[in-house]
Amino acid sequence: MLLDVLGWAFLAAGSLVVLTGSLGLLRLPDFYARIHAAGMTDTLGAWLILSGLMFQCASVLVAIKLALVLAFLVLTSPLSSHALAKAAYLRGLAPWTGDPPPPRGEEGERAG
Amino acid sequence: MTRHVVLRVLAKLLIPLIMLFALYVQFHGDYGPGGGFQAGVIFAAGIILYALIFGLEAARRSFPPRVLEALVAAGVLIYGGTGVATMLMGANFLDYNALAHEPEHGQHYGILLVELGVGITVTAVMVTLFLHFAGRRRAG
Amino acid sequence: MPAEAVHLVLFTFLAASAIAIIRLHDLFAAVMLAGIFSLLSAALFTVMDAVDVAFTEAAVGAGISTLLMLGTLALTDSQEQPEHNRRRPLALAVVCLTGAALFYGTLDMPAYGDPNAPIHHHPIIERYMETSLDEIDIPNIVTSVLASYRGYDTWGETTVIFTAAIGVMLGLGGARRRRHGPHEPGDASDVVPDEWESVGPEAGGDEGGGEDGDAEEKP
Repeated sequence: MLLDVLGWAFLAAGSLVVLTGSLGLLRLPDFYARIHAAGMTDTLGAWLILSGLMFQCASVLVAIKLALVLAFLVLTSPLSSHALAKAAYLRGLAPWTGDPPPPRGEEGERAG
Repeated sequence: MTRHVVLRVLAKLLIPLIMLFALYVQFHGDYGPGGGFQAGVIFAAGIILYALIFGLEAARRSFPPRVLEALVAAGVLIYGGTGVATMLMGANFLDYNALAHEPEHGQHYGILLVELGVGITVTAVMVTLFLHFAGRRRAG
Repeated sequence: MPAEAVHLVLFTFLAASAIAIIRLHDLFAAVMLAGIFSLLSAALFTVMDAVDVAFTEAAVGAGISTLLMLGTLALTDSQEQPEHNRRRPLALAVVCLTGAALFYGTLDMPAYGDPNAPIHHHPIIERYMETSLDEIDIPNIVTSVLASYRGYDTWGETTVIFTAAIGVMLGLGGARRRRHGPHEPGDASDVVPDEWESVGPEAGGDEGGGEDGDAEEKP
């Protein structure tokens, strides 16, 4: 009974995190900020949802397999966010800083 | 300073795992979901990840296109060869009962060989397609 | 009831992404949506208990196919050319008529998952399901049907993949082998055409993000 409640709580929290991440993906102003939102969906949302599923599964073997899936996701989802951000940076996409645009005459600025 | 440190380190960790998983899927197609097609695609995905992170030249040195072309044909040859072998042993084409003394063992051998042929062909085809697409320069 | 809800949600997303693929002019976004379409199809197959098919669809559709289409995008324009929106009433009428005929045809089909459907009573089904474990002795009936009972069809599929590779190899290069300029020993340059040699991670800059620069020095 306790495991059931815990499982549902984790699943609900994970769904909330994924929903927030999707909202951020739509509303945030800059590409790098959107990568933050999508990465949160991938990492924290996956953690919570998989933990909730682990509490609710029937046998220990399934729980171990889910834990392995979680370990693989922990390795790969930050890697993919990093690869995306790095590719955008190397192509010259400058982050949005909220500052007013530079006066005419300056060439395209690379951040950093 | 080496470039892409994070990508290289994690790729060195992940690519062997991907290939091991592909082998698992290949040989456990008898007991769960899996088989030659899925395993070939996963193995090719590992090789393509290597090509993306370490560069096309390194990938072409490790997986020479000539060897890949040979492997594309070798998989189909293994599959057809199994059928011809069963014919040489007196049964119909691809009738695995003739491959061993007992029919069940013959079926096991036959399915193993056939899925191996499919896996080899699919891997080599996917990597060949990727290397052909990725190596071209944009026209104009 | 929850099963129908899941099916409804998945099909709605499938239709929405299909409409978005058609309407988008940005080809990069369309390729990404095609990958999402394949992923949703794989989820649908899993919900329908066809796990082998779902596995293959996820690996091929959401993985390799998206990758190859992105590779093609690096070679072509990334925006679709807008065409003049001429009204074509005759084409619209033909499409609507065919669609209506197809809908009318599906009204006759058995309900989804109906155990009394004619397909489930064919004698070959009982032959496969009951004798598979005795004759072939492996637990997964999908593999036993695919590789043993219908091994000839799988042989045909493998030959199709082989032919696709041959077609790409013939169409996309390898035919012109110019041998000018110094080559390193052990180079794959007699297989790889010269026009590839100047394409690498640093040249062009039109390949995908992960290939942007690496530690390989050009020889």
